[in-house]
Amino acid sequence: MVGKITEKSPIIFTKDVEYAYSNGTLALKGINLSVFKGELIAIMGKNGAGKTTLIRTFNGLIKPSKGEVLINGKNTRLKSIAELSKNVGIIFQNPMHQLFSNTIEEEIKFSLKNLDLNEEEIQNRTNIILKTFNLDKYRKRSPLNLSGGETKKLAIASIFCRNSDILVFDEPTLGQDSREIAFFTNLVKEELDKGKTIVIVTHNIEFAMENVPRTILMADGRIIADGPTRSVLNKEFLTEKSSLVLPQLYQFNSELLKVGIKCPDDVNSRNKMKSFIENYLKNKINIIPGENY
Amino acid sequence: MDLINFNNFSYRYKGNEEYALNNITLNIQENKFILLAGETGSGKTSLIRCMNGLIPQFYAGFYKGSVEIAGRDTVKASIADLSTIVGIVFQNPENQLVAMTVENEIAFGMENLGISRDEMIKRMDESVKLMEIEHLLHKAPFELSGGEQQRVALASILVLEPKILILDEPTALLDPYMAKKILNLLKAIQDERDITIIISEHRMDLILPLVNEIILMKDGYVIGYDTKDKIINGEKFKNLKINHPIIYSIFNDLSINKTFRGNIPSSIPEAINYLKDLK
Amino acid sequence: MSLEFLNAFKFMKKNTFLHNLDPRSKLLFSIIYTISALLFTEIIPLTIILLCLLPVIISGRLLKQWIKSIRGLFFLFIIIIILNTFFLSLAYAISMILRISIMVSAFSIFFLTVDPNDLALSLISMKVPYEYAFSFSLAFRFVPTIATEAQNIIDAQQSRGYEMQTSGFINQIKNLFPLLVPLIICSIKRAFNVAEALESRAFGSQKDRTFLYKINYSMKDWIFTLYLVFFLIFAVFVRFNFISMPVWLSWSLPV
Repeated sequence: MVGKITEKSPIIFTKDVEYAYSNGTLALKGINLSVFKGELIAIMGKNGAGKTTLIRTFNGLIKPSKGEVLINGKNTRLKSIAELSKNVGIIFQNPMHQLFSNTIEEEIKFSLKNLDLNEEEIQNRTNIILKTFNLDKYRKRSPLNLSGGETKKLAIASIFCRNSDILVFDEPTLGQDSREIAFFTNLVKEELDKGKTIVIVTHNIEFAMENVPRTILMADGRIIADGPTRSVLNKEFLTEKSSLVLPQLYQFNSELLKVGIKCPDDVNSRNKMKSFIENYLKNKINIIPGENY
Repeated sequence: MDLINFNNFSYRYKGNEEYALNNITLNIQENKFILLAGETGSGKTSLIRCMNGLIPQFYAGFYKGSVEIAGRDTVKASIADLSTIVGIVFQNPENQLVAMTVENEIAFGMENLGISRDEMIKRMDESVKLMEIEHLLHKAPFELSGGEQQRVALASILVLEPKILILDEPTALLDPYMAKKILNLLKAIQDERDITIIISEHRMDLILPLVNEIILMKDGYVIGYDTKDKIINGEKFKNLKINHPIIYSIFNDLSINKTFRGNIPSSIPEAINYLKDLK
Repeated sequence: MSLEFLNAFKFMKKNTFLHNLDPRSKLLFSIIYTISALLFTEIIPLTIILLCLLPVIISGRLLKQWIKSIRGLFFLFIIIIILNTFFLSLAYAISMILRISIMVSAFSIFFLTVDPNDLALSLISMKVPYEYAFSFSLAFRFVPTIATEAQNIIDAQQSRGYEMQTSGFINQIKNLFPLLVPLIICSIKRAFNVAEALESRAFGSQKDRTFLYKINYSMKDWIFTLYLVFFLIFAVFVRFNFISMPVWLSWSLPV
């Protein structure tokens, strides 16, 4: 089915998608999802809930046993992985699963191979991406000679240089400190500004709360919640089912309530919580009249 | 006697120009629950490798100074000998499970040490109960989930009855619920067995409420080692680019603008206690 | 079809006389039947040996698997018949087929009934040094892990536009690099991690290592071994006295 691509049609559309392993167990049990161009969404859930299986259907690595996956209106069953990966770039968890070239420069060029670009364009894109990721100085180095953080950057760079419309990250903040997470967050913002659609599979609840507008929760092969991050992650029964914990903000909220301190409903970000506590403290310590909560 | 002693220890891996560890001096006692924190690349894993002699015996390189574990010099005592005192659970549990079944896995270390069969069975029963893995005994390692693998790896180390248990990013591959469960389990073990546990972790919000001491590392140096309260209220902790918990960061900001005076809470219960007492 | 043949060597846990025998007696079984098969080229003796396999197969409840494995060899048998009929004789082809069936069956029974978990133990009981026995079972243990890793590598490379199918012999070899290099590197890293973990658990520290499980030769094993020894003696006797054996033993096809 080829749909008419307007701004109203989702760029990723799945309808009743099922996927069974060779031994018969169902990894995906009827997934219905619509993601629109320019969106940033997080997919969260227990290990084994089907998150990585689902993203593999986006670029054709997995073809659903039942149902349809449409990328840009085109059915993934009718396209090869090579074709689909031009539109959907997936950056997997372990960068060591893809590095093999003699130099970093060659590594990038390998990624550009099946895009039908001429020599000049390839060299151009390589130069740009190496600069963007601060890897230019390591251009002639072996990819095996980089630090952990830099190999992760290289893995991302080797997908970014292909300029796909949709970018999918599998656990991008694993084992990273706040510097590296800040770099990644910035990268995501820049790509969104360019009009890309971004899907992040993650366990990092705090990251999602702070940066991602929409979250999908998966459990046992199904989507159990799909909505604004701050309301999806506010429901304890959902977070339990998906093997998550309540974000610190909401835990704090509920604990405050237990001791008789009520936060206004719109305190759902770090800064708002900070202002609330600030005012509360000013009230209690300096006994400034007014400002009741 | 200190349990762990680093005496001006420096180490450089063979083939590297830079030192991975610089002039480390540490004196760690028994019965502590310690967080090892630092930015990526600060030397946490290298420090851990020193604790049972992997550095400098297994990893080729150059060292200065000395490390003593329960009085034994890590250059002279064999790694096997040190493994009776120090148990290390490495980052990826999959690569530590070497046996064909869980049961054989847990027995493995004890078999290597020549422990009698009766003693093995006794210790196994205890550990298996503690880790809640009775139902997994006859399964193969690849059949286990990440959380199960982690518990099996832990059980197989606990049966060696180490005085020191070290874990290198134990929750990295786990989902948040599992991560919380394992960290709380470790706290319970530390309480019950009076051992010292050192955990290298990025997930501050889960681990900070549980520890009583913190080691801070940066660029291969230990830049701080003290009780949790002292470290958290210090400048160094604030300036490190680690994943500070939200509670910490809120109260830290408020402390800077003088709205808040007092010990910065590292966990929600601490913050609640403080606020509750104000009422 | 060729993969179906591999099923003839896949272990499945069962509680039968055969499965409960010590791996050593089963290895002896495989070796003795193979030797017996090699002693004869005549059709009748080989058929008798093959028939002597059946009670063993049935006692292990392996009849279905055995039939499948013979079916798997079918293609090979046809080729043997065709080639041999042109160059030698049909009778010779048939005896070749019988020999192959006996040898494959004998060893397939070994693999079907020896638990890989006990493999290390069986090797140790055969006086193989612990380190070697252990590396054997370690390799077994990591096969599924490496298979999963290979799949992940294929996925990661395909997501960068790597295409599995390509034309031209040299291109096909070059095309393996993006898969093999990461696989080899990851395996080496893994080996390092495993070694580190082994050291940290005192591997190789004691000469006299203790064992949680042991395998013992039981009465059943001695009886079975006795049977095998007599079988072999009998087969050798028949071979060396073949001339004085009944005529029908050396019957062959008219061709």
